[in-house]
Amino acid sequence: MISLLASASDPMSHIVDKGLHEFDFLGRPMMLSMVTMTVTAIVLVVLLRWAARSIATGPESMGNKRFVSQSAFGGVIEVMVLYLRDQMLEPVMGARLTRKYLPFLLSMFFFILALNIVGLIPFVEVQEFIYSLRGEAFEIKENRTLAIFGGAATASISVTGGMALISFVLIQVQGFRELGVKGWLEHLCGGHDLVSGSPLLYPIVLLVFVVEFFGLFVKPAALAIRLFANMVAGHTLLIVFTSFGVLAANAGLGWFGVGAITVVSAIGAMLITLLEVFVALLQAFVFMFLTAVFISLMAHEDHGNEEAHAEAAAHAHGAPAH
Amino acid sequence: MMLASANPLEFNLFPFITTMVVFGTVAVGLGIFVWPKILKGLDDRNAKILGEIAAAEAARTAAAAKQKEFEQKLQEAMEQSSRMIREAKAEAVRMGEELRARSEAELAERARRAQDEIESARRTAVAELEAHAATLAVSIASRILKREISATDQKRMVEESLAGMQGKSR
Repeated sequence: MISLLASASDPMSHIVDKGLHEFDFLGRPMMLSMVTMTVTAIVLVVLLRWAARSIATGPESMGNKRFVSQSAFGGVIEVMVLYLRDQMLEPVMGARLTRKYLPFLLSMFFFILALNIVGLIPFVEVQEFIYSLRGEAFEIKENRTLAIFGGAATASISVTGGMALISFVLIQVQGFRELGVKGWLEHLCGGHDLVSGSPLLYPIVLLVFVVEFFGLFVKPAALAIRLFANMVAGHTLLIVFTSFGVLAANAGLGWFGVGAITVVSAIGAMLITLLEVFVALLQAFVFMFLTAVFISLMAHEDHGNEEAHAEAAAHAHGAPAH
Repeated sequence: MMLASANPLEFNLFPFITTMVVFGTVAVGLGIFVWPKILKGLDDRNAKILGEIAAAEAARTAAAAKQKEFEQKLQEAMEQSSRMIREAKAEAVRMGEELRARSEAELAERARRAQDEIESARRTAVAELEAHAATLAVSIASRILKREISATDQKRMVEESLAGMQGKSR
């Protein structure tokens, strides 16, 4: 209620990451997103372990049923993993890189998805409502909350920035491992052909280097900002819709007016929530998929060789390459 | 209660580092305890499906080979039966021809034998007729002559008549 009243005048106050009311760490407030992220991570690992047990091949005594998922949740996870691996990642990264990076990319996808979904559930509002029912008066410091869990962690640039930094490190490590330092520098300069070409092309090489060098940082920054902006925008929209009733009451409308506006805004909020579920899924996918694309770009030469090998193998077997 | 206007772009180092630590831990944890199991399960299932498809394909190929072999054997059997029918027909024709030839030969032999018998009977009959005619002629002649002809005379006269008739008939 406190949050809702506050959000009516300033929606951003609901969305931004806040410090916990009475928890400080190294003299600074422990942020809600840190707790939410940690708890969500633990729950995610537990849930996925459960899913893994139901997906894993069972004992032979089960017959052919040992190859079938033993729970609906396992089935959902299985479908998602299969789709991401076979339809999305393998066509982009090739079989070798997919096998290598699939665990990391799946972890990234499900971690972001879990944080996005948790952000849609009004844990903070419920906790603050319970506090308000108890009628206790709290002196809350600036940008602090009574809640100990909840909120959209991915609506914090600090969180999405952390994820983007991990992506950045992984992409560059992959680049160094696949291309070597020389190949990595050549990649930044537009490739071997351009670097070893005519000296007349050196200005272009320099220009490409500058663009590519900034691109190194722009790509992960874009990942962070895209996820953050989508989550902030969605939650802002949701808060604005849900606060229409409060605004109407504050404006002194009668019960009928407040009721009508509340019903309409509730329906709108429900529809926006459905959209936000889709956005949560989509943004988790986009973050993971673009990381995969950037990784594969840093190994594009080898990827080409892989295709050449596949083509040669297909010819050797007398079949077309595609 | 004081709630200041918040800035969502405000960067905070704590959540930034916590994100990396928590996600790193999650990635390692999932990488060890979850994804290998799930991916192995999916690979096992994939291998099972591919194995079943390969087995079905092999069974189909074997069935096709068996069908081809069966059709070939059926064709051979049909050809063999046709050949046997042709041979049986030819044998039947040959046997029919042989039987007809044998029957014709037998009939010819019987006809020849019958003709011989007829000829023999005719000769016997002619001889008997001649003898009877001679006897009758002698009897008539004796009545005309009013005398009794002895058996010896009668025999002599008959033999003379017969000799005479045979001489005439020749």
